[in-house]
Amino acid sequence: MNKFIIYFILLLIYLTLSKSLSPSDLSLSYVNNEKALDDVVIGEPVTAILTDIHSTGFIIKTYYLKLKVVYALKSYEEVIVRTSRSFKEKYEPFIGMAIFRRASDEEIANYTPLPPGTVFIGDTDLGRWILHPSGEKVWRFFRVYRQLPIYLGWGEFLPTYSFYSKANIYQGQDKAFFGLNEEFGPRGKVTQKQFPNYFERKKEQSIDFKKFFTNYFQNNFIQTGP
Amino acid sequence: MNETFDKLLIRIIFTLIICFSLFLYKYAHVIFYPSHKKQLLKKIYPSENYIDTLHIFSRLIGVAIIFSTLEFNEYIGVSISLFHFLVWSSIGFSLYLLSIYICESIIFYNFDYKDEVLKKKNPAYGVVSFANAICLAIIIKTIFKEAENSLVILLILWLFSMVAYGFGTKLFKFISKLSFNSLMIQKNLGLGFAYSGFLFGITIILISCFAHEHLEITSYLIQILLKILLAIIIIPLFTSGIKYIFQIDEIGEPSSKKTELLHLGLGIYTGAAFLTASFLTAIIVGQIHFGTIYPFF
Repeated sequence: MNKFIIYFILLLIYLTLSKSLSPSDLSLSYVNNEKALDDVVIGEPVTAILTDIHSTGFIIKTYYLKLKVVYALKSYEEVIVRTSRSFKEKYEPFIGMAIFRRASDEEIANYTPLPPGTVFIGDTDLGRWILHPSGEKVWRFFRVYRQLPIYLGWGEFLPTYSFYSKANIYQGQDKAFFGLNEEFGPRGKVTQKQFPNYFERKKEQSIDFKKFFTNYFQNNFIQTGP
Repeated sequence: MNETFDKLLIRIIFTLIICFSLFLYKYAHVIFYPSHKKQLLKKIYPSENYIDTLHIFSRLIGVAIIFSTLEFNEYIGVSISLFHFLVWSSIGFSLYLLSIYICESIIFYNFDYKDEVLKKKNPAYGVVSFANAICLAIIIKTIFKEAENSLVILLILWLFSMVAYGFGTKLFKFISKLSFNSLMIQKNLGLGFAYSGFLFGITIILISCFAHEHLEITSYLIQILLKILLAIIIIPLFTSGIKYIFQIDEIGEPSSKKTELLHLGLGIYTGAAFLTASFLTAIIVGQIHFGTIYPFF
C-alpha cells in the first residue's frame, strides 16, 4: 500500500513540476477574459484579429488563441496566448474577426467582435472617404498606410460608409457584426480566404493507404540518394 | 603519397601520445589511491588474482571510453590541437578518478580494496567495481559531449550527475531483495550481477536524460531533473510488466537448492530485468519527441 502512495506522490510531483516549469507555459500569456487582452495588446490605434484556435492535450486540454495584432503606425505581430475553455468557446464563432480594438487617444479598449480594421476606418489621420464609381463612399488609407488592408486581410473588400455606420451601431449595442454581406467570421468568404489555417484543419482528411505505403517504402528503403 | 604518409605518421604519433597519457594515468591513479601504489606500480600477473585484473582493467577501459570523446583537429594547428587534447584529457582523467573515488566511497563504504581484492579475492566486489568504473566512464563521456568545451558547464553537469548517480546507487534496496552488505561479505556473485545490472541501468537512464538540446543551463538542468523523475515513475511499470508477462516467481518453489545458487539466479534475474527495463525506460524518457504548437499553429 505504501508503495502505491509513494508512486502517487511521485506522479503528482512530476505533473506539478512539469506544468509549472514548462517553457511554453512560462512564455505565453494567459487570457481568460477580455480585460486580460489589455496587457497583451499595447499601444493605440491597434486592433487584434482572432486568426486561429488550437487545443493540445488528450484528457486535460490546454487552449490557445492566435491573434494578429495590427498597429496603424508599425507592422503587425502574431501573438499566441493560452486561454480557458469558456473563453475559447465564447470566441470560436468569431474567427477572423477583430475581438479587441483601442482607438487613437482612447485608453479604454472595446471588445465587440467586428470585422478587422473598423477602428482605423473613419480616423482622418489615417485615410479619407472617396467616391467610388459605384456612387458609394468608400474608405481609402493614405499612401503611407497602404499596407494596412493587407495586414487586416481585407483582400478585395472595400469598406463603404454604410458598412462603417452599421459597424458603429453594432459596436454601440455591443453586438457582433459580420459585415453587410457576412463577409467576415467563420462563414465569411473573406475570412476563409485570408485566414485559411483554421478552416483547413477542420476539413476531414482522407488517407490513401496505397499512396502512403508507396511513398514510405520509396523514401525509406528504395531511394539511394537525398 | 607524401601527404598520405604524413597523415599516417601523425596517427602513429598520436597513438604514442595516448600511450604516454596512459602512463601518466598510472601515476595519477596513485595520487588518488595511495593504498594501490604497490599494486599498480609493480608487475601485474593476471593469472594470480583475476579480481585485481578486473579491477585495474575496468579503470583502463574507463579511460579509453573517456578518450573516445576527444578529438584532434589538425587543421586548426598541430600545437593548438595537441594542447587542447592534453588539457581536456587531463580534465577527463581527474574527473574520472575523482568520480570513482566518490562513488566507491558511497557504494563500498563498509569494504576496503585491500581486504576484498588482495586478501579475500572477492568476485562480487570485483564485478561491482568493474561495473561502477565503466558506468562512470560512460557518464563522464556523455557530460563531456554535452558540455561542448565549456569547463563551467562541465563542472556543473559533473556535480549534477554525481549527485544523481550517487543517489541512484542507494536505491538498490527498493528493486532487489538481495542484501548488499551480507552478500558482499559472502562473496556472492549473484549480488555482483544484480548490482552491476542496476548500475548499468541507472547509467542508461541518466545518459538518456542528458541527451537533449540545451540552450540555457538552468532550464537544461530542470529538464534533466524532470526526466529523471519521469524515469523513476516509468521503470516500475516495465519491471512489473516483465515480471507479469514472463510469469517470474522470484523466490521459486521451496526445495533443497543451495542458498548460494538461489541468490545467483535471483541476482542474474534482478540485474537483467532492471537493465532491460532501463533500456525501455530510456526510450520513453529520451526518444519520444513531442512537437510544439508552433509548426502547425
